[in-house]
Amino acid sequence: MTTLWDTTGSDVVKALSAERRSAGALAFGLALTLVVVTDQHSVEEAEKAATAAAAAHPCRLLMVIRRHVEAPDPRLDAEVLIGGRLGPGEAVVMRMYGRLGLHAESVTLPMLAPDAPVVTWWHDAPPEKIAFDPLGVFADRRITDVSRCDNPLDALHLRAVDYAPGDTDLAWARTTSWRSLIAAAFDSTSGKPTSAVVNGPRTPPTALLVGWLRSRLGIDVQLEESRGREINEVRLQLDDDRQVSLRRSDARTAVLSLPEQGDRTQPLAHRDLGDLLAEEVRRLDADEVYAEALAAWTGVPGLADRSPFRTHIWRDPAQEKAAREGPEPTGDPGDQDVENG
Amino acid sequence: MRQRETEPGNVLRDARDRRLPRIPDPCVLVVFGVTGDLARKKLIPAVYDLANRGLLPPGFTLLGFARRDFENADFADLSRDAAAEHSRTEFREEVWNRLSESIQFIQGSFDDDDAFDRLAESLAESERAHGIGGNAAFYLSIPPAAFPTVLKQMERTGMASNEQSGGWRRVVVEKPFGHDLKSSRELNALVDNVFGADDVFRIDHYLGKETVQNLLALRFANTLFEPIWNANFVDSVQFTMAEDVGIGGRAGFYDSAGAARDVLQNHLLQLLALTAMEEPVSFDASALRAEKLKVLGAVSLPKDLERYAIRGQYEQGWLAGARVNGYTDEEGVPKDSTTETYAAVRLNVETRRWGGVPFYLRTGKRLPRRVTEIAVSFKKAPHLPFDATDTTELGHNQLVVRVQPDEGVTLRFGSKVPGSLMEVRDVSMDFLYGESFTEGSPEAYERLILDVLLGDQSLFPRNAEVEDSWMVIDPLEEFWADRPPEKYRAGEWGPKAADEMLARDGRRWRRP
Repeated sequence: MTTLWDTTGSDVVKALSAERRSAGALAFGLALTLVVVTDQHSVEEAEKAATAAAAAHPCRLLMVIRRHVEAPDPRLDAEVLIGGRLGPGEAVVMRMYGRLGLHAESVTLPMLAPDAPVVTWWHDAPPEKIAFDPLGVFADRRITDVSRCDNPLDALHLRAVDYAPGDTDLAWARTTSWRSLIAAAFDSTSGKPTSAVVNGPRTPPTALLVGWLRSRLGIDVQLEESRGREINEVRLQLDDDRQVSLRRSDARTAVLSLPEQGDRTQPLAHRDLGDLLAEEVRRLDADEVYAEALAAWTGVPGLADRSPFRTHIWRDPAQEKAAREGPEPTGDPGDQDVENG
Repeated sequence: MRQRETEPGNVLRDARDRRLPRIPDPCVLVVFGVTGDLARKKLIPAVYDLANRGLLPPGFTLLGFARRDFENADFADLSRDAAAEHSRTEFREEVWNRLSESIQFIQGSFDDDDAFDRLAESLAESERAHGIGGNAAFYLSIPPAAFPTVLKQMERTGMASNEQSGGWRRVVVEKPFGHDLKSSRELNALVDNVFGADDVFRIDHYLGKETVQNLLALRFANTLFEPIWNANFVDSVQFTMAEDVGIGGRAGFYDSAGAARDVLQNHLLQLLALTAMEEPVSFDASALRAEKLKVLGAVSLPKDLERYAIRGQYEQGWLAGARVNGYTDEEGVPKDSTTETYAAVRLNVETRRWGGVPFYLRTGKRLPRRVTEIAVSFKKAPHLPFDATDTTELGHNQLVVRVQPDEGVTLRFGSKVPGSLMEVRDVSMDFLYGESFTEGSPEAYERLILDVLLGDQSLFPRNAEVEDSWMVIDPLEEFWADRPPEKYRAGEWGPKAADEMLARDGRRWRRP
């Protein structure tokens, strides 16, 4: 491990290659670079999840921690590790102070694994527009987590407005275990659903599950609001008056009721943040099914037709407050004027 | 191969939705010989791993059948211990509890009509209770000698029939698939008759390994290798499957079979087929099989078997720092046994692609380490613009597919030694799966059981492949029948005659 205080990007790159050489790691098969953007107070949680994901998909892990953007002097502290606290692969933890945080890409760009895909994950609330953050602009896959926002459902809507192919939100991965059970139920049921109800709290996973059912089945799907933090139940009415339902019985199981087949207890995989992130990193192409579910929930059209490329929009935190009070952002991020930074 | 995603039935599934796993239809898995070693060490843990990964359908039921006098509770304990000890994924009590609710044990011997009637009843009952629709897979984890009895019982009770059950009925059999062409034909005819050829799944667990499947990706997804994958560029190919262990508790079976029947006939010839075959038109089971069959049909033995078919038997020696017995001193092996524990043979593949390229296959017990690999050795450059002394240490370029352990690929090529002199030497470039994609690769059995339940035949050899393989092995066995095996010391890389066989061709075995 090398720790560098008040250093420069070039010195970090040198330290990384020195570490690689001494670890004999020159033949590492790197599949991707994972850029994790987080705040000082949630570093630990982000590190834990990223380590778990890196163990499943060895990658170069770049942790970017932005601190005190208003600090007068920019400064970079970095830690370079290979095969240590952050899993078996290569990891660089960078703390960026002052206005360097706005130019984080100047440090990370030379550190991306050559020609390998780049995935950026915002552990905390994502930028309103991904184009505001250069770390998102050069990424092939962008992973957000709207559950970290003050108003997650509004944030989800914003994700649809700002969507570009290659974006996904962890709220979608949180629906996977429900979606696989529902899909499996219909492998052995012939009926055609006519309407459906999803019972759960008004959270992004519930919303995306509703959106998914709407987009796949083309039927009316209601959200029946309930308390608690997790989705509780999904009921589907079939055309022959029968009903299929899937109901959570405890944290890790659900009961599936199929017509004429009685009730069955099914595992509802409990997955932590690391598992969710690993699922996201498994595929690096655009998730069109997510786009359809997101569109069906939010009513924002034309998601799949957008360009997967973004252009960086310069935005100074000093102006941020004013900008937030300005007009609602419009559909295509490409329409925005690009100002110079 | 059935692609569930494209079935029109379920609109919730979409080929683009890669997050949703393929889950089989609701079904029953019946395991005969469920108290045996294989079931405890591999099958039950694999079923648990599938359950833990959420890949088993709602209403999945496991019915265990064995002679042991067990109560349901005893069996529950045995299978719980098996799963806890051998599962690949983390053992979680709540997953197990749910799975164990759907596990039942049926006691009986294979000729006991009453026991099979009870089995048929349990099957029917779980079908009613769980809406399984008559789907069942039968895993025959029993000695082949018991096959006819069990199959007849299944025929008698109508268990094996797709029509009578109203769903699919599949059978899984393990090697050995007979001991020569004749017996394998009989066995195949028997199994295929009772079940129908499309519903028979022959497990060769090597084909369930990620690396073996990656061989297909390596060859057919890249442009780099296929253009040189032929006799114009390839000098020779070596297949090695070495084991450091002896015969363990399998003396009875092993002494009557030997290395060629145990390993060469199935694993090594399947690896050869995958390495040498032409590009299949698609990756579905029938297209793959068609190409494998073509290659197996083109395999020929050398005329001079005396020199190119070597078999050996280990004598006592030292291995991994411990003294080990010779084969004839192993428990249960006759003192005068002439069974081989090592076999090496040179084969040819009579096609335009491979004409003249020797394929060397070897397998053995009590070799220095456990390793399986495929080494493709390329021809030397026709002209080297260096002084002869510059390249003395330059060998053949090699592409090595390591099947186990350290799954991955090695590329060997010449590189300049740093310094003022021009000196070229071989270096290796390693690609290790462990590093790039460690995402818990499923155990071979996990993958194969799931494929059986999904009805995906592509990783299972069909009867014709098995029979073609025997056509290669039978003449060898015939030739070896009255020749004593060459001796080798436990802990060395096989008998001297095997080294001489390659030396004669101006080559040598790669040390894996």
